[in-house]
Amino acid sequence: MYRVCIDVGGTFTDGLVLDERGNLQQFKSATTPQDPSVGFLACLEKAAGAFHQSLSSFLADVDLLIHGTTLATNTLINESGAKTGMITTKDFRDIIEIRRGYKNIRTSMYNVFVPPYKPLVPRHSRLEVEERTVHSGEILTPLNEAQVPQAISKLKEKGVQSVAICFLHSYANPRNEQRATEIAKALFDGAYITASHEILPVWREFERFSTTVVSAYVGPVVERYLRALEKRLKDSGFRGSLLLMLSSGLVETVEHCIPRAVFLIGSGPAAAPSGALYLGRAVDQQNLLSIDMGGTSFDVCMIRHGQIPTSTESWVGDERVAIKMVDIHSAGAGGGSIAWVDSLGLLRVGPHSAGAEPGPACYGKGGEAPTVTDADLLLGYVPADFFLGGEIPLNVERATQAVMKVADPLNMSVSQAAQAIFTTVNSFMADQISEVSTKRGYDIRDFALVVGGGAGPVHAATIADQLGIPTVVIPTVAATYSAFGMFAMDIGRDYARSYISRADRIDLDRVTRLYEEMEQEALEASRSMHVPSGQVVFTRSADTRYIGQFHEVEVEMARGKLGPGDIETALQSFHQKHEELYTFNMHWKGVEFLTFRLKAVAPKAPFHLRQIGQGGRDASAALKRRRSCWFNGREMDTPVYDGDKLLAGNLIQGPAIIEESTTTVVIPETFSCSVDERKNYVLTRRSQAS
Amino acid sequence: MGPRAVDPITLSTVWHTFQSTCREMRYVLDRTAQNFLMAQLHDVAAGIWDAQARTLAVPAGPTSQLLGQKFSIRYILDKFGDDLYPGDVILNNDPHHGYCNHLPDWGFFRPIFYKDELLFFTMARGHQMDTGGSYPGAYFPDGYDIHAEGLCIPPIKVFEKGVEKKDVFELVWNNVRWPEGVRVDNYALIAATKICENRLLALVQKYGRDAVMECVEEMLIRMEKAIRAEIAKVPDGTYYGEAASDDDGSRHDVPVWVRCEVTIQGDEMTIDFSKSDKQQKGFVNNVLSATYSRAIAGSFLFFDPGLADFHNEGSMKPVKLIAPEGSVVNAKYPATVGGSPVSVGTQILEATVMALSQAMPHKAIASWGRHQGHYIFGTDPRSGERYVETTFDSDGGAGAVWGYDGFEGAAAFPTLGSVQRSEIEEVEIRFPWRIRRYGFIPDMSGAGRWRGACGMHWEALNLGSDGGMATGSSDGHQTQPPGAAGGAPGPLCKAFLKRGDEQMVIKPHRMYKIGAGDVLVKISGGGAGVGNPLEREPKKVLEDVVNEFISLEVARDIYRVAIRPQTLEIDWEETRKLRSSR
Repeated sequence: MYRVCIDVGGTFTDGLVLDERGNLQQFKSATTPQDPSVGFLACLEKAAGAFHQSLSSFLADVDLLIHGTTLATNTLINESGAKTGMITTKDFRDIIEIRRGYKNIRTSMYNVFVPPYKPLVPRHSRLEVEERTVHSGEILTPLNEAQVPQAISKLKEKGVQSVAICFLHSYANPRNEQRATEIAKALFDGAYITASHEILPVWREFERFSTTVVSAYVGPVVERYLRALEKRLKDSGFRGSLLLMLSSGLVETVEHCIPRAVFLIGSGPAAAPSGALYLGRAVDQQNLLSIDMGGTSFDVCMIRHGQIPTSTESWVGDERVAIKMVDIHSAGAGGGSIAWVDSLGLLRVGPHSAGAEPGPACYGKGGEAPTVTDADLLLGYVPADFFLGGEIPLNVERATQAVMKVADPLNMSVSQAAQAIFTTVNSFMADQISEVSTKRGYDIRDFALVVGGGAGPVHAATIADQLGIPTVVIPTVAATYSAFGMFAMDIGRDYARSYISRADRIDLDRVTRLYEEMEQEALEASRSMHVPSGQVVFTRSADTRYIGQFHEVEVEMARGKLGPGDIETALQSFHQKHEELYTFNMHWKGVEFLTFRLKAVAPKAPFHLRQIGQGGRDASAALKRRRSCWFNGREMDTPVYDGDKLLAGNLIQGPAIIEESTTTVVIPETFSCSVDERKNYVLTRRSQAS
Repeated sequence: MGPRAVDPITLSTVWHTFQSTCREMRYVLDRTAQNFLMAQLHDVAAGIWDAQARTLAVPAGPTSQLLGQKFSIRYILDKFGDDLYPGDVILNNDPHHGYCNHLPDWGFFRPIFYKDELLFFTMARGHQMDTGGSYPGAYFPDGYDIHAEGLCIPPIKVFEKGVEKKDVFELVWNNVRWPEGVRVDNYALIAATKICENRLLALVQKYGRDAVMECVEEMLIRMEKAIRAEIAKVPDGTYYGEAASDDDGSRHDVPVWVRCEVTIQGDEMTIDFSKSDKQQKGFVNNVLSATYSRAIAGSFLFFDPGLADFHNEGSMKPVKLIAPEGSVVNAKYPATVGGSPVSVGTQILEATVMALSQAMPHKAIASWGRHQGHYIFGTDPRSGERYVETTFDSDGGAGAVWGYDGFEGAAAFPTLGSVQRSEIEEVEIRFPWRIRRYGFIPDMSGAGRWRGACGMHWEALNLGSDGGMATGSSDGHQTQPPGAAGGAPGPLCKAFLKRGDEQMVIKPHRMYKIGAGDVLVKISGGGAGVGNPLEREPKKVLEDVVNEFISLEVARDIYRVAIRPQTLEIDWEETRKLRSSR
């Protein structure tokens, strides 16, 4: 049996297959934006070929397929989601535009020159119906059912394809919201209809409504894709479980995700930090900056002390997304990013990308705009004859013509312009890294850079040089980085139940019952994933706070039937955790419990990266050829190594290039590179090198 | 360890650490405080100063709590001299003895020592749910003097060498309502200062004392240089701005004026409030530090936004303030000051911005909708306990700036967006009020080529007991926030109390009785506009009509854009006619 992880990025679809002996193999194919399931299957087909099987017999042997996709994120960021309408409580239609009075999300309060926020659903498409529920769950005004059809027909007239139904206090009693949803679904065939209590059933309407509207906005695109994918997989003989990576780093089924599309925001990149942690062991580092530079986007995550950061306070673009997400910062920069000259006569790179179609000019697929990959080609970094192992022949002539488009107005030679594109995109990415590190007050020199993405290894060392980062780790799985992360993590799901009670009046049987219910649910879910129940590990926790506070602290809870001693233990750990987090605690103050949580984890399948042979420091046996590359404006005769022939212990001084079938590693003059036994390339800045 | 040369990465890390530490302090307050204003609305400020009371970091918080606090640090240094130790925490809320802006904003100051050397001060300040005085909460008008407004706490130690002074706290908490809640919030503020100490000491331990202090000097030098270059770009001259508050809460319906002359000379700026009104009987008087905060904040808005994250003493050095003693912008003991952060405080910012908008028309900034606050108190029948409630929810949005419409939803100009609105669901859980309506209301924005953000209609039903309401944190029912570069001022605000069939007008700066079952209605004006409304793109005017931000009539009469009512299309021919015939 095989286990497969597939990550669909904006440009490439990356696949990793784990065979029965625990070996990993990577495959890459072009993403097909019109219907990404096509590229998905193409990637599987490649894998099947490598195992000398037909697609159907290969797929029949796959028991678990974990899938990450940037589809939801890109849909939101590129503003390419569905035309969305909203049905909401009468006299409250402006919640998502008033927001919470936020002006500056990312800039200083002393900057008032900020463009006003443009809501995903314009005011005229936010329609009101009579209904009102209060926080106790009591319904003050039942839904005026006649108004729902009226609203639906207005939204139909406007060409809306997706509807978010958002009522006040629907977390406390969803009846009105449910009823409106039923009516809307019955009347609006083919529309994507979602209700706020299904997305984020907790109080605070701005966060709930905003998250729901985002879900509605990306939902139709996500649904179309997942349905197509499911069908294709089934038709091709797949009988195993398909699980999707969620923004939280946990997984869920297709059926669960379709009505909750927002949980797929950041789906692929959410796995990457787990991979970075695993790979960080190569340099014995727990402080890592994980970067992933693909064709379209650049993701960065700061990992301190081996902890993957998560947050419920995320903003994606200008939208508040209040679900729990792995804290990853994304920006538009990648191999496909287009270079252009702005009205001030300055060179800019991105955020627009040539993506997979038409792709960079050098692909010869009709792209004419100059991209980062075109510049990388002209600088000699990326081989014309060995891009993706020679699968995509790169056309130097077309790249030259494209780069000329910026070279001419800038009055530069083509190679100068290529150098300028390279430098500009690197500075932009360096800024993004500072954003999550330096600007949060962390010294970047304390971190190692772990690099993923097809374009990452070309640019990483130069960025590290600019930022003063001493160590760069380029793994052998760099090109399938997020997919690797999906292997490197445990497969987890989480469950939650609300029960608000003061600690001194808590009903212990009720709490025990809630946990047992969740555990039962989790066991059933893991059975459907073919995980033996004995392998599932449960972690219980609870959200607690001092009475009167607005925010909670999560504490671990005991297993089995709970007794008074267990509550006492939980309270002690709450006081202690409050002190650790905030420097003080208040034993004199009452404590309340709000939400009880269960995390069910099936441990990852054992795997290992292929071990390579041991060699000496001398890497000359792997020397493939020499070619001319540009470094800092100088053309240099540069040795090019064949990644497949390098041995553990080899040491390569920059400037040098290593050609791999899925990526190219550029080692600038200031770095030296050592190869470890799992074929991770560890690049060290010369001044620090031993 | 000997001194190390400051390299660019260390400088950048140190500079950002100061900023991010202040943000973390606000975050800690958010997570641990129990008072609605602090934890939900973020009426809290945090900053860092050095041992000479120079401002090092003031990234976020309502301006009057924050930007002038070097005056407080100076006061503390003068008062305590060498009597400051590691582990000391000093509490201060007294405007006349310690330069707090008004009594409810309690500041906790911590001197930060490294190896017995005083290096820094940090302060966390937050609006308490109560400060004693005649009525619960704050912002009640017409006190006899400052003592009627509540407990006046000069800078005193509440922790000495790490030990809590329990008797001092007992005295303090015994003089406020909801002492247990105030106690939690006080500890939260103290915790924030402790977090700051931890972060800064870690920084000093990592890079060495000398390297960090060198970075500090470099931060100040670089900022001053950048700001001087910014000021030098502005044409020399004197520019005038003025704004009025409805009244002082004691003498009704007589506006109180702030008048401001900004003189640019070379790379220096003087902000002179000499022509402002005299100190008032009523509670709108600002102390010097509060005036300084608002004037400085106003100037920051006109500098390169790229500098906005990093302001420090260097930004303030080229700016001089003139505010004569005994005036409404530099009040003396025993003046009442309770309403000053909203009334006259807002106008100090408005007048400064109005003057500077004339100096820099292509950076013109219009003022925001006036704050429509209230403090309602009574008993919550669900718990039988007394409560006090206030929010920013009924405020109109931001004023326009050159190039952009006003930011919808942003609340209260002097906070510059550092405070937040509450959530209806949270309000209804915490307080015995049901919100009946909350949203934009058409035709309540200042017109302009870029229009102000829209005003709000906010309406709520009292499910609690009979009680009272102070409207001291409202303004703008008779006076308007100024527009800029030909834009219209923000519209006037209105408020009513409905009791059965009766409807009573509610004015700012008064006390009212609230009955069980009363409905409070607030209709707020939005922000002011920038530029001539006739130059607004017709397409944008149409968009505003479609979204019901403005009516067809306003489109036609103010913006002179004709829109066909049935099809909602622009009648271009008619529009050309309207726009050419002035």
